[in-house]
Amino acid sequence: MASLSDPRISNPVLSSLKIQSNDRIIFIRENALADSNFIITHLLKQFFYEKSRVCFLTLHNTLDHYQNVGKKLGYDLKEAIECNNIKIVDPLADIVEGIGKEIEESFEESQMLKCLFLSIKKHIDNYCSLKDCPVYLVIDDVSHFLDLAIDLSQIISFINYCINLTNNDNISVVINAHVGSKNDEIVAKSVQHICDVFVEISQLKTGKSTDITGLMTIQRGDSINNYHYRTFDRGVKTFHPGETIYNLYK
Amino acid sequence: MEKGKLYSIPGTVISTQHGHLLVSSGIDSLDTVLGGGLPVGTVALIEEDFRGLYSKVLLKYFLAEGLTAKHSIFIASQDVNPANIVSELPAVIESDPEPENPSKGHEINDKMKIAFRYQNISSAMQSSHIKHIGHHFDLSRTMSFSDLENSDIYYWTGQRIETGTNSFLNPAYNDLLKSVKDKIKEGKFFLKDNPESKTILRIGIHSLGSPMWLPCRKSIHSMDSSSQDLNMFIFCLRALVRSANAVAVITVPSYLYGEESLERCIHSSDISMRLQSFTGTELENNQSLQDYHGFFYLTKLAAINSLASKHPGSVEYVFKLRRKKFVIDMLHLPPDIGDDKENKKKESVPMLGCGGSNKHLLEF
Repeated sequence: MASLSDPRISNPVLSSLKIQSNDRIIFIRENALADSNFIITHLLKQFFYEKSRVCFLTLHNTLDHYQNVGKKLGYDLKEAIECNNIKIVDPLADIVEGIGKEIEESFEESQMLKCLFLSIKKHIDNYCSLKDCPVYLVIDDVSHFLDLAIDLSQIISFINYCINLTNNDNISVVINAHVGSKNDEIVAKSVQHICDVFVEISQLKTGKSTDITGLMTIQRGDSINNYHYRTFDRGVKTFHPGETIYNLYK
Repeated sequence: MEKGKLYSIPGTVISTQHGHLLVSSGIDSLDTVLGGGLPVGTVALIEEDFRGLYSKVLLKYFLAEGLTAKHSIFIASQDVNPANIVSELPAVIESDPEPENPSKGHEINDKMKIAFRYQNISSAMQSSHIKHIGHHFDLSRTMSFSDLENSDIYYWTGQRIETGTNSFLNPAYNDLLKSVKDKIKEGKFFLKDNPESKTILRIGIHSLGSPMWLPCRKSIHSMDSSSQDLNMFIFCLRALVRSANAVAVITVPSYLYGEESLERCIHSSDISMRLQSFTGTELENNQSLQDYHGFFYLTKLAAINSLASKHPGSVEYVFKLRRKKFVIDMLHLPPDIGDDKENKKKESVPMLGCGGSNKHLLEF
């Protein structure tokens, strides 16, 4: 019996997502100009509630951002880092370090992904050896590898390695990808092909609205659920299409 | 971020809503659209208008505001000499050169009845709740030489490029990134640095990705493959700026690129806006748009440190360049009165032939 404090019941986004422990590969596709970041920040809330461990690869937003949003959603990321519940892998610092250096010593494409994966693997192995609890690998925006001029095949194989981690029953993977160009589409389609839960965030087709921020599609197997969502300063509300008007003016 | 320490930086203000450190873009109305100003640690991308005239004005405002607030400046361009841009910066003045709302007409406006559905929609942009943090500038005068002399300005012209192996096709991008990084290091702008008096580095890059930025002639490349360089540059710059007390404004001549090739740049930048001037288009002669010079689109306003973006939603903005001031305004179509008069004028034009001049509509 789930308690009322369970965010999967009380939080509108998480109750629409209905992520279970047997959902091994969760893929979030962010279409151009939409912002899917709230899915990850909400999922983190659920993971912390479930006392899972998280390895978090941040490429798009900084730790400060997640800390600030986390506080609004009711969890403290920095505290979680201190308690060793989450490990942040932040390649941005290395990229800044590598600027201006010769290619041999700075980020060489294939080497970079290899190093990244090895450090992720190290953290996850570490968590797995600690206790028998679920471990999540969260990748915020895998499509940024394309910006770094990394070959498409290498990105796919990096994703492949990450997904193979789920062979261990305790490990699940959450991947976020932005789709704007052709190559993004290839990455996104290939992850979509193997994922258990597919979440798509897009803007409204008709333009911008003050009542609705965008459209959220959740696909699990054959069942497809469409939601509208609206972001507020301190949370996100979800609606079934058409019922927005009743919820907003309550 | 410790807020107490940040308060001391001149020319910045902390947004009460999200705890951002904001700097002014120099244009009052643009700050309002952006929700107070440009957050420090972000990259703003401006898609240039066709001739690049108005985007340059925006860049100049951004730099002039920085100089006035005693920020450090980094200016880069391959198209024009960056020293020229700096020498044309508008002069700072005490008050708004061309105020929007003359106070005399207020009483009459209040009494006027308008349709009830428009009652809650303000005619001008609501700026009262956001305190203006910037200064006022006069576009008709240029900043005095003495102001420029005492400021910390770094010019990057792309002249001294070391050719080394790097991951960019065009070494210029690499060199520019390196210069920005060196500047940040030298001025101690990194967040981890703790200099005695903190200030902000304003990075202005003019016409990034223009034909001057194409890779060297040895390799055959089109604009398409050079957008790869652009994507990587903006992503790296973003990583750099995030880790420092810096804010970057980049103008890109987007019309040179295909429709989708700037998508990644927009994704990597935090704020993205587009200027579309009426010059040379059919909108130029449109009666209802004659007060304005072009459309201003706010393509992206990322939600940083928060869940909700401050994007104003479905509002259409226009800009106009007055003699002394650049203004961004909400688009209002004027009442359909003026057209009638002109139609009548056209009808009353004397015609040759047997019909005579004032032919009644019912007459055959």
